[in-house]
Order: sequence, then C-alpha cells, then structure tokens
Amino acid sequence: MSFAPTTTTTARPKRRRRRNLTLTIGIVVTVAFVAMALASFFYLPHNPNVPRIPDRLLPAGSPGYLLGTDALGRDIFSQLMVGARTSLMVGAGGALISLIIGTLAGLSAAAFGRVADETISRGADIMLSIPGMVTALVLAATIGSGALTTILALSSFFTPSFTRVIRSAALSVLQEDFITAARLYARPTWFILLRHVLPNVAGVMIVQFTLYFAAGILTEAGLSYLGVGVTRPSISWGMMLNEAQQQVGISSPLAMWPGLAIVIVVLGLNLLGDGLRDVLDPKLARRA
Amino acid sequence: MSTPPAIEVRNLSVGYEDINAVRGVSFTVPAGGRIGLVGESGSGKSMTALALMGLLPAGWTAQGEVMHDGLNLVSQSDRALSSRRGRTISMVFQDPMSSLNPVRRVGDQIADVIHRHNGVSRREAVRQTIALMVQMNLPRPEQLARSYPHQISGGQKQRIMIAMALACYPQLIIADEPTTALDVTVQKQVLRLLKAATSERNSALLMITHDLPVIAAMCDTVAVMYAGRIVEYGPVQQVFRNPRHHYTRGLLDSQPTMDNIALDGTSRLVSIPGMVPPLQRLPSGCAFNPRCPAATEKCRAEMPELDRDGAACWHPVQTRETAIA
Amino acid sequence: MISRQPLLAMQQVSQAYSLPRTALFSPPGSFTVLDSIDFDVCAGEAVGLVGESGAGKTTLTRIMTGMERPQSGRVLFDGIDIWSAGQAERADFRRSVQMVLQNPRSSLDPRMRVSTALLEPMRSLRIEGDHVKRLHEVLDQVGLDKSALDRFPHEFSGGQLQRIAIARALMPNPRVLVADEPVSALDVSIQAQVLNLLKDLVRNLNLGLVFIAHDLSVVAYTTSRVSVIAGGRIVEVGQPVELFTRPKAPQTKNLVDAVLTVESGLSGTAL
Repeated sequence: MSFAPTTTTTARPKRRRRRNLTLTIGIVVTVAFVAMALASFFYLPHNPNVPRIPDRLLPAGSPGYLLGTDALGRDIFSQLMVGARTSLMVGAGGALISLIIGTLAGLSAAAFGRVADETISRGADIMLSIPGMVTALVLAATIGSGALTTILALSSFFTPSFTRVIRSAALSVLQEDFITAARLYARPTWFILLRHVLPNVAGVMIVQFTLYFAAGILTEAGLSYLGVGVTRPSISWGMMLNEAQQQVGISSPLAMWPGLAIVIVVLGLNLLGDGLRDVLDPKLARRA
Repeated sequence: MSTPPAIEVRNLSVGYEDINAVRGVSFTVPAGGRIGLVGESGSGKSMTALALMGLLPAGWTAQGEVMHDGLNLVSQSDRALSSRRGRTISMVFQDPMSSLNPVRRVGDQIADVIHRHNGVSRREAVRQTIALMVQMNLPRPEQLARSYPHQISGGQKQRIMIAMALACYPQLIIADEPTTALDVTVQKQVLRLLKAATSERNSALLMITHDLPVIAAMCDTVAVMYAGRIVEYGPVQQVFRNPRHHYTRGLLDSQPTMDNIALDGTSRLVSIPGMVPPLQRLPSGCAFNPRCPAATEKCRAEMPELDRDGAACWHPVQTRETAIA
Repeated sequence: MISRQPLLAMQQVSQAYSLPRTALFSPPGSFTVLDSIDFDVCAGEAVGLVGESGAGKTTLTRIMTGMERPQSGRVLFDGIDIWSAGQAERADFRRSVQMVLQNPRSSLDPRMRVSTALLEPMRSLRIEGDHVKRLHEVLDQVGLDKSALDRFPHEFSGGQLQRIAIARALMPNPRVLVADEPVSALDVSIQAQVLNLLKDLVRNLNLGLVFIAHDLSVVAYTTSRVSVIAGGRIVEVGQPVELFTRPKAPQTKNLVDAVLTVESGLSGTAL
C-alpha cells in the first residue's frame, strides 16, 4: 500500500481567530480562578467561618461586603475565595493523580504486549463500571468525608478513562516508522516510550487533564452539596449551595454566587481544554 | 451543436486569504470526453477537483466559472450542489480506506446513492446495486454487498467507489489519483474497468494524477499543471510525444519507465533540479523559471499564457531530441 | 563473474505465525508467511525484491534486519549466523545493516530536530568518533544543506524527508542499506532524484542495497539482480532485462504486464 503525495499547502482559515478566542477566554478564566484561590492564603476580606449575626443576609454591594453575607453574617466573597481553594486542590489533585497513573497504565498497555494490554484494559473496564458517585459515597462512609476522600474518589473514576485515551494515542504513535527505526537501533521499550511516545502524546495528556480538572470541580461541588464532601471549617462551593438552599424563600441570591462560580470556572476550564486541543492537534495530527 | 460539454472551467482560481492554490485555470471536458490533469504535490490539481465538486475545505474560496448542467457551480448554494453531486457529477477519491464509511456495509453505501438520486424504492435500489456490482466484475456480489469496507481488498474497495460514482449515469466523473494507493497489478484492472464503464455510459472523465502513463492510457486530452496554472494543454498523443513546455519534458524524462531506461544498467534518469515552490513564495513571472534549462530574463519578468499550440512558455521546446522510441 | 561472499544472506528462511485459537482445546492453526527463502546481497551490489502486497516482503525485511527471528533457516552477516553470534558480532550487525522506509513523514519523530534524529543511531548503537564531522559528511553525501539540521520534520517536503531518512541510515557507516518502497510516496520528479542518489551511494560507498518495491520499472532502473516473491516464496530470480523480456513465472509475467508506460498508453496497448 503506498501513501500518495498530498498537497503541500496547509489550510489555515479564518477559524483560527475563533479558536484563539476560545483559548483566550479559557486562559483568562482559569488564571482568575487560580489567582483567587491562591490569594485566599494571604488575604481574606473577612473570616469566612465566624458568624456575625448583626450583619446577616446583607445584599451585594453593602459596605465591606462585596457580595453580601449569608444567613449567619459570613462574607460571601471570602467564602468563595476559600471555596476556590478547595475546588483547585481537589480538582487538580484528582486530575493529576489520574494523569500519572493513567499515563503509566496506558503506555504499558500499548507497548508491553497482549497480556499486559488485556489485563490493564479489563481492569480499567471494571473500574469504569462502578459509578463515581457510588465510589465516593462508599469511601466517605468508610474513611470519612473530606477533601482527601474526594480526591481518591475522583482518581478512581478518572484513571481508567485516562488510561484508555493514552493507550489509544500511544498505539497510533507506535505505528509510526520512527518507532521502527528506534527498535532497529535496539532501544529498549521503556526508552522508546519515554523519548518518543510521551512527547507525542503530551498534547492529548494536557487536554484531558484540563477537561478532567473541570469535571473534578463539578463532581466535588456535587459531593459537598450532598454533604459527603468537605465540611466546615473547610469551605466548598457545593457546600455553600447546600446552605443557601435553606434560605431560598428568604434570600435567593445566596445560591446564585456559588452556582455562578461553579458554572464560570467549569466552563472556562472546558474552553481552555478545547482551545488547547485545537492548538496542539494540528501540529500533531494533521501534519500527516 | 450537439451535447453541451460535461464541464467548462473558465479562469478558476481557488485560494484562502491571500494565497492561491489555483491561479486562473481554464479547460473544457466535452461530453463523453476524457481529460487528464497532470501535476505533482503543490500543483493545485486536487484543489481544482474539490472546487468543481464544491467540496473545498473551510476557509477556501473559488472564483471564476465552472459551467456544468446549465449552472455556474462556483456561485451555487450547497443545496443546488448536493442535488448534483453523485448524480450529474461524481468523484472517485484516492484512498478507498478513508472514503468509504467504515461502519456501513458497502452494498448499502451504493444503494444509498441510487435511492437518493434516482428516487426509486429501497428494494429497487438494492437490485440495481447488485447489477452494478456484477458490472464491476466483483465476485459474489450479494455476499460482498453485505461486507464492511475493512473486510474487502483495496482493489475491491476502489471498484465499489467507482460503482457509487457511476450509479446515476453522471455527466462527469472526477477521479483523483484513483489507483495510487493500489498495487500495480490491481491498478490495471481498475483502470480498465473505469475506462470501459465510463465509455459505456458516455460519462466524461476527468482523471487527476501525477502518473503520466496512466494519463497516456486513459485520456485523449491532457492538461499539465504547475504551481496552480496549466502550463501545457493539448491532445495526449501530441503533448506526450512532442512536449513543448520544459516541465512536461522534464516529467517525461524523469520517469523510470521501460521506455527510457536501458536494461543493462547504463542509463541515468534526468531529474528536474530543485523543488516545487511553496505557494507563499512563488517565483515572479513563470513559476517554473528557477528550474528551467531555457529560462531567460523575460521568463522571470512576465508570466506566459497558453500559446496557440498549447504551451505557456516563452521559449518552448522546438524539437524532441530524446525520442520515446 | 567473480564469486564473492555475500554481505548479507538468508538461507532457507521460513516464517510462520500462529493464528488465534478458534477452539478452547485444540491447538491454534498456523499461517506460513515465508517458505524456504534464499536471498543475498554483496558489497557494491543493488538487488531488488519485487512482489505484490501480502507476498511477504515486509516480513522478509524485518528478518533481514534482525528485527524478527525466523522459524527456520539462517540469517548470515559476513558469513556469521546472527542469531547464534556473540554480543560483539550482533552489535556489528546492527550497525552495518540500516533501513529506509516508505513513508517519509512517518520515519522521523515530529518532535525532534533533524540534528537530534540524525545523531540517534550514533548514540543508541554506541558508535564513537566525531559525530559532528560525520553529520556534515553524511549531509554532503545526500545533498542536503547544513541549515536542515536545526529544523523540524514538518518544515520539509516528502523528497527532502526521504533524503534525511537516507542520511540517518548512513550515519553509522553501514554496509547494507535495506530500502522498503523508498520512492512510492514521492512525486515523480523527486523519485528520479532519490533513485539516482541511491545508485550513486552504492557505487561511491560500495554499499549493498536491497531495494524492495511492487513496481518493476523502478526496481529495474536501480538494481542489477531481481528476485520476485509471491505467496511467501521466491518464484524467479534474474537480471532485470531477462525478467522483462523472458519472464518465466506467471507472477513475474503479471508484474511485467502490469507495468504501464507512456508509450504503451499512447499506442493503446496498455489496458
């Protein structure tokens, strides 16, 4: 089978501008989010956990309280900042662990032969068949709820997906002729994986990481909302939603702020992932 | 006169933003005629084909006139075009592996085309499909029709594509490197089939390839493309026996065919020095001048048009020194 | 003709793969890919291997370069069986037999600069000496400019990439070059350049060249002795002129028939 010459021109149409917009928005939102989370370690307008009953349920724009206060008089903006911290740690933590384990597993499945592949892939399938929420609840029941539990639950859920994605990307890189050349030079498999395969699947890894990061934040919010995530004095946006639920008839905006925060950050991260994929893919895939 | 030409292309230009892959190309395919478009990578031949079918990638635009079935295809809506694609004008692509739908049975894919354009019932479409497959010399057609693309060979896949292209008796079939991905032994069968089937249906054929012998075997007329323009145009017998443009001559001389190699190992292919220029950095004047043995200042200054005898050259080849014996 | 000892030889090489099990308790079937192949190449000689897809060419290539072990038969380099040789001989073999593959865009790691890719074989095969000097030498041999070193594969055309692939194969100063369909993916006018380059290298460096293709005319131009492989067997061996004018095996006849030329096309005898 021969591979025939294709056109030497590379199409770079107007879509590039729209692509950059996606990426730009994604970057802006992500940076703002991370900045907010990190800033919370150094400065908080008010203590987010100490009740101040006289100042309860103040509306947004009140002096000293940027977004107002909740039912116990705690500053909403400060709570959001600390909540961002949680989202960042849990989301990034879960995604990172999945990335590391998933990459190792995926590369091994792709390169170490049929038995390794079957074992790893079936293992991943089994893990995938258990719903993430169930895992989270079981873990919460056994080792107690909290940030660490959530990270573990997220990892167990995302790792098999990551494995699959990396495995398939690695398989297609391993088909290329430069891998054959490396084998001809008797390079050991682990070296080929590290030197040749990993850089070429890096794009896929980065994109998946941002997407799972976003999913992690959403899941963490859901778990905290249900009460099996973090608890006071840690703060989570999901937890804020739960507390706001009791005030729905009295002060609806309470639920709006954490909800909006979740939506914006998750959307921003997804846009970042999409934008990155568009930027990285053409160099990797469409050059052929 | 009698039947209008299958397609008439006038001053077609195709490009994106400020770069043109096709720069003012004109040719006519008479009804039932066979014309070959010869060119290498970067010549613009594939973009020409896509422009004719209205299948340009996003961001690419076409200007000029492409007269077919009474309309200028360049200015048509996608709706008007899609009613013609597959019916009056169809295409056979290069790589059968990626142009057949991998998750549908091949028989269904052919039947789809018939059902959609000929307005017949599904059952009738299936019947016509089998008849078509028999014509394509495909073995055990009923069984083959139920196969998926990955289960059949490259040559068979290409014949399925040809069947899809011919199903509605189109006025014009565009074949873009139809046999490049196939083994030489299969190539012959497929080309033979394409030639016979198109002449039987009186469909015109636009054959696009970089393989000169294929054009010589299949077509009556040839257009040689270089850097987005047609540099030589004429009857294939004339152009290939007495090429007047230096690029055409270079192409003919650089092929290791049994015509120009001495089998005792003493011959040496004459290759054209240099490379096809990238579209963003085309030479001024005649795009071929940096690689041309006969280039002069005039060639760098002015771009030549096709002369009366079909060559776009300021100093065309006068006589053919190395004859194809 | 002076009889010389072949540089690389395959004697009665056979290869079979086992098919996946179809029943739980019966042994899996096997599928013969190569059957008693004899094939060799001497220094300064270009030999061709022609056959259709599926004839066994790729498997033969893998066995020839030591990437796969045959089920039976011997693979000899400089007269020594590589599968029973010592470490030193195996290392020598790996250095001396290099490959050029069909798809130029796939032969190079898109993430590596050309200079890194060219130095790869030197590092992995642990070859000593002045690598930079060798780099320049090799670039000269294939006709590439030094500016190519700092660029990435996607900046080059197919023909240039193939030159780079050939340069990489030449770096360890091999004695045999195995070229698997080296020009099928290239434009017509570039094919001639690469074929001429290969011929020159054989002559100037006294290389052994194994040229594998499915197109007989390309092989006929570049080589002086051709083996035709079909169904895992060598069905005919001879000089190009003989194979073309007096083909004996039916598969050879098919291949000769399949060759399209401009002249046969123009005279209407092609199809």
